[in-house]
Amino acid sequence: MAVDQQILDEAAMWAVRTSEPDFDDWAAFTDWLEVSAAHAEAYDRATIAVEEGAEALASLPANDPDWPDEDWDGDRDEGRSPRRWLAPALAACLALVAALWLWPAGDADTTYRTAAGEMRTIALGDGSAVVLAGSTELVIDGDSDRQARLNSGRAVFEIRHDEADPFLLAVGDATLLDAGTVFEVTIRDAAVAVGVAEGAVIYEPDGSAARIDPGQVLSFDRGAGAYRMESVPVDQVGEWREGRLTFRNAPLADVADDLSQATGIAYRVAEAGEARSISGSVAIDPLRRDPGALGPLLGIDVRRDDDVWILGGR
Amino acid sequence: MAHSGDPHDGLEAVFLANRNKLLRFLVARGAGEDAEDILQDVWLRISRVEAGPVGSPLAYLYRVANAAMIDRYRSARQADLRDSAWVEGHSGANIGVSDSPSADRVVAGRQLAARVEEVLAPLPPRAVAIFRRSRIDGIAQRLIAEEFGVSVSTVESDLRQVYRVLIELRERLDEV
Repeated sequence: MAVDQQILDEAAMWAVRTSEPDFDDWAAFTDWLEVSAAHAEAYDRATIAVEEGAEALASLPANDPDWPDEDWDGDRDEGRSPRRWLAPALAACLALVAALWLWPAGDADTTYRTAAGEMRTIALGDGSAVVLAGSTELVIDGDSDRQARLNSGRAVFEIRHDEADPFLLAVGDATLLDAGTVFEVTIRDAAVAVGVAEGAVIYEPDGSAARIDPGQVLSFDRGAGAYRMESVPVDQVGEWREGRLTFRNAPLADVADDLSQATGIAYRVAEAGEARSISGSVAIDPLRRDPGALGPLLGIDVRRDDDVWILGGR
Repeated sequence: MAHSGDPHDGLEAVFLANRNKLLRFLVARGAGEDAEDILQDVWLRISRVEAGPVGSPLAYLYRVANAAMIDRYRSARQADLRDSAWVEGHSGANIGVSDSPSADRVVAGRQLAARVEEVLAPLPPRAVAIFRRSRIDGIAQRLIAEEFGVSVSTVESDLRQVYRVLIELRERLDEV
C-alpha cells in the first residue's frame, strides 16, 4: 500500500493530540479528516500502530521504573533535572535514621476496623476526626488520642492542631507528624501514600523531616527508606469521602483494590490487564448499582465472573 | 455526593444541540452510512453510565465517538487478520491478533516487542522516555513537560517522532 508521507506525518500529529485527555479542538480535527478519506484511514492505522507499539514496549523488561533510559544524554531544553525517585545515597541515609518514636503497646488501645464498602467516622476527644474508608484498620492509643497507627487501608485525618501535643500517626516503620492538618493516608501492600489537603504533615520528624504541603503526595515503602513527592489537585485528597475516586496513571490492580475497598464489590484484574495503567475519575455510588458501568468510564474491558468483576481485557 | 442534579441532563442537552456536528465528525471519520447508528450507540454507551459531571461535555462526546470509531477499526482489522491467517495458514504475520491461540500470541508479542525495541533504539532516549510516560504510564503531556523540564511543544514533537517510527514499523509489517 502506497502511503503518502505527509499524510502519515499529519496522522501522527493528530494521534498525539487526540490522545490527550483534555484535547478539545475536535472541529479542527474534523476539518482535517474532511480533506480526504485517506486521512481517517491513516489516523486509524496510526492509532492502532501506536497502541500496539506501546503495548509491546510495556512488555519489554522494565529498567528503572521511573526513568527507563540509563544512557541519558542530557539532551534537554534546560539544565533542570527531572524529578525522580530519591537517590540511593539519600535512601541509605534514611535507613540509618531509626524511628525515635515507637508505638507504645498498651492494653487500652482501641482498634477500629471497617468492612469493604463501609465508611466510618471516628471522633477523637479533642474535636479531631478520622474518616475510615473500607477495609481499613486503625488503632488509637489507649493513653492518648494524639497517637494512632494505621495498619491497613485508607483514612482521612482531620486533626486539630496543638503545638504542645502534636498528633502522631505511625504507618509501618514511619511516623507522620501533623502541623494543623487534613490529610489522607493510603496503604497498599508495602506502599504508603500521604496526601495533604490542608495544613502540613511532617514525614519522619526525627529523620528526613520531609514537609508535605497541601496538594502534595508523599509516597514511601513500608520496608525501605526512600520516598518521593508528587503533586495532586487538593480537592482529590480524600475525595472518596465525597463518593469519588480519581486515578492518575494507576496500575489496574490498584484501581481494582480501591474500587473493592470503596464499594464492597469484588473487582479483580485480568491477566491481560496486569501491566496496564489508567487515568480517570469515577463516582462510587453508581457502581454499587451497576458494577460493569466502570468499563466505558475508564475505557477498559469489564466482565463478570460470578460475583467477581474482571477488569482489563484490552 | 460531589454533584447535584443528574449530570445526564446537561450532557443530553449538549448532545442534542451538537448532534449534527457529531454526525459530521463521524462521517469524516469514515463511518459513512453507519454514522447515525454509531452516534446512537455512542449515546447509549454514555447514558448507561451514571457518570459524575463532565468538565467539557462536548469534548467528552467527541472523545467517546472517536473511541467508538477506533474500536470499530480495531475489530475490523482483527477480523481481517484472522481471515488471512486462516486462509494462508501462516502464523508470522498475525501479530496483534488478540484472540489467536495464546502460545502464538506470546511469540508474536515477543517478536513485535523486539522490532519495536529495534526501531526505537536510534531515537533520542528522551523521546522514548517521554513516549513511555505518555502512552504506558498515561501521564498528561503538560505534566510530562514539567517532569522533564521541557516545553509542552517539545513533548508533542518528541511524541510525534516516536509515533512516526511506530507507524512506519506497522506499515512495513503489514506489507509482508
